[in-house]
Amino acid sequence: MATSNADSNKLLSRPETERTPEEETLVMRLSIFVKMRWVAILGVILVTVVARYGFDIVFPTPPVYIVCVFMALYNLFLTRQLSGLNKLPAEQIIPRARRLGYFHIIFDMLALTVLLHFTGGMENPFVYLFVFHIVMASMGLNDRAVYLLCTVALVMVASLYGMEAVGIIPHVNLEGFVLPTRYQETGRIAAQLVVLAVLLYGTAYMSTAIVREMRTRQREVALRGQLLAEKIDELESAFGEIGKLREERDKFLYFIGVAAHDLKAPLTAIQGFLWVMMGGFTGEISEKQKNILERSAYRITELLRLISDLLDIPRIESGRIVEEMKELSLHQVIFHSIDGHRNLAETKGIELKAEISKELPRIMGSITRLQQVVNNLVNNAIKYTPKGTITVRAQEHDTDVLVEVMDTGIGIPPEDMPRLFDDFFRASNAQSKGTGLGLSISRRIIEAHGGRIWAESPCSGTTSGSKFSFTLPKMSKTTKT
Amino acid sequence: MAGKILVVDDDPDILDAVAMILESQGYKVVTARDGAEGLATLKAEQPDLMILDLLMPKMDGFAVCKELQDPKWSEYKNIPILVLTSVREDASRRRYELETGVELDVDDYLEKPMSPDVLLERVSTSIQKRRP
Repeated sequence: MATSNADSNKLLSRPETERTPEEETLVMRLSIFVKMRWVAILGVILVTVVARYGFDIVFPTPPVYIVCVFMALYNLFLTRQLSGLNKLPAEQIIPRARRLGYFHIIFDMLALTVLLHFTGGMENPFVYLFVFHIVMASMGLNDRAVYLLCTVALVMVASLYGMEAVGIIPHVNLEGFVLPTRYQETGRIAAQLVVLAVLLYGTAYMSTAIVREMRTRQREVALRGQLLAEKIDELESAFGEIGKLREERDKFLYFIGVAAHDLKAPLTAIQGFLWVMMGGFTGEISEKQKNILERSAYRITELLRLISDLLDIPRIESGRIVEEMKELSLHQVIFHSIDGHRNLAETKGIELKAEISKELPRIMGSITRLQQVVNNLVNNAIKYTPKGTITVRAQEHDTDVLVEVMDTGIGIPPEDMPRLFDDFFRASNAQSKGTGLGLSISRRIIEAHGGRIWAESPCSGTTSGSKFSFTLPKMSKTTKT
Repeated sequence: MAGKILVVDDDPDILDAVAMILESQGYKVVTARDGAEGLATLKAEQPDLMILDLLMPKMDGFAVCKELQDPKWSEYKNIPILVLTSVREDASRRRYELETGVELDVDDYLEKPMSPDVLLERVSTSIQKRRP
């Protein structure tokens, strides 16, 4: 993600001339300004009426109303300009809106200055309303423009006060409110201008700082939103990919299932006939014929075993094994397997031992499938152990049950270890035939139970044999109740 | 007399093989190629045992077992059923339970391919068990 960090830096530090998120909302702000202006016009009229008749402050009112009419006129003009904005091409909207913003504020400041002139000049305390203009400007314009507007306001007010003081333009005294000589007191004028300057520049400094902070945050949010949208896109396409792969896998599993099943039916029929002949149900057969029939039947048994292994894979992979799961005791599974293999072990002269703790917790699982795993491991152990002992051990651990099958057999060559649980893999030192699917099916079964299976060779602490281990999660972990 | 056995299977070769094995021991064998035909033959022939395959076209073995639960088949209730199929027993039982909500009520279950000796042994056990 190094590139997007670089992007974000670029985005956060880009020059003021580029579009910012606040400028995007500029148009919306301008329309708010227009509405506020109507309120301001009403306010001016109201204040005039109240001052004239409520407080008996005497000043000529017609110029005030004329200024109000003028304000109303340019406000209508700005409203029209604003609605025309949306018809412009996207890249022109912002520069135009910014220019409009300047006009709004300059017009407003001019209108306020003219109003002040007709309502007492420096006698009128409403001069401090210029603060509003500065706050408005800092919301939509860049910092330099805001300070410039501060200066413009000060120049306007200073010129007004100055020109009135020296008599270039007439002065209106607010009779009954301020002494008629005050407008020529330079000290007063200077003090008022200093206060106004401090107020305007101070406001500009604070509000632009706040707006700058907001701007940074807004950009971060916008950037995060953009990154998030990208990630969501990536996720969506990944999900789509997964869905497609799963669909294809399901189709393939279905194909294996149908193919294996269709192979099974004719083989079963052939096997039936072979056994019928071998059993002499169709008349006497010679020893030689019987021998050939037996060998054919053996090959068919091998094929049927391979097919049944192939059928197991889709059954386990498609998750149907979950339907078979219920609460069970591993005790029963392990002893059933040991009992089933005792004869085979005895004929080879191998000792078959069980070291199983009495208090094995119950687990959730498929009895037949786990039986298949233990049978496979015990059977393999017997197959690859010429003499010695096979030990089946089961212990409870913190979160799971550990089952181990250890032998003193020929072991597994180190180079074979990584591929031991792969489909159709047979160890390079294996003499007897098998489908090469036994361990890979065992792995699938154990993984479907949420467990793990692995092998070690030689057995830890010895120099020979191999040890196969698997874990199964305890009940509390897998059941929802 | 050894008894009359109805064998229901869609595979004619399996039917032949099973028939040969059974007839060698003196059983009389009648056959049917699907579940519907099997039920009709059951009515007509009143066999001593029914050997039933599970996966068949038209009406499968599961449907036959379900149909036999109906009270109108009560007079055939004492005819033992031996399932002979290539479907594994636990898978079949689970499927039947899921579909009907009751246990698969059959007397014996044998997975194909079946060795003649085992088949004969299971057949004779089943027949004797229900023989009044």
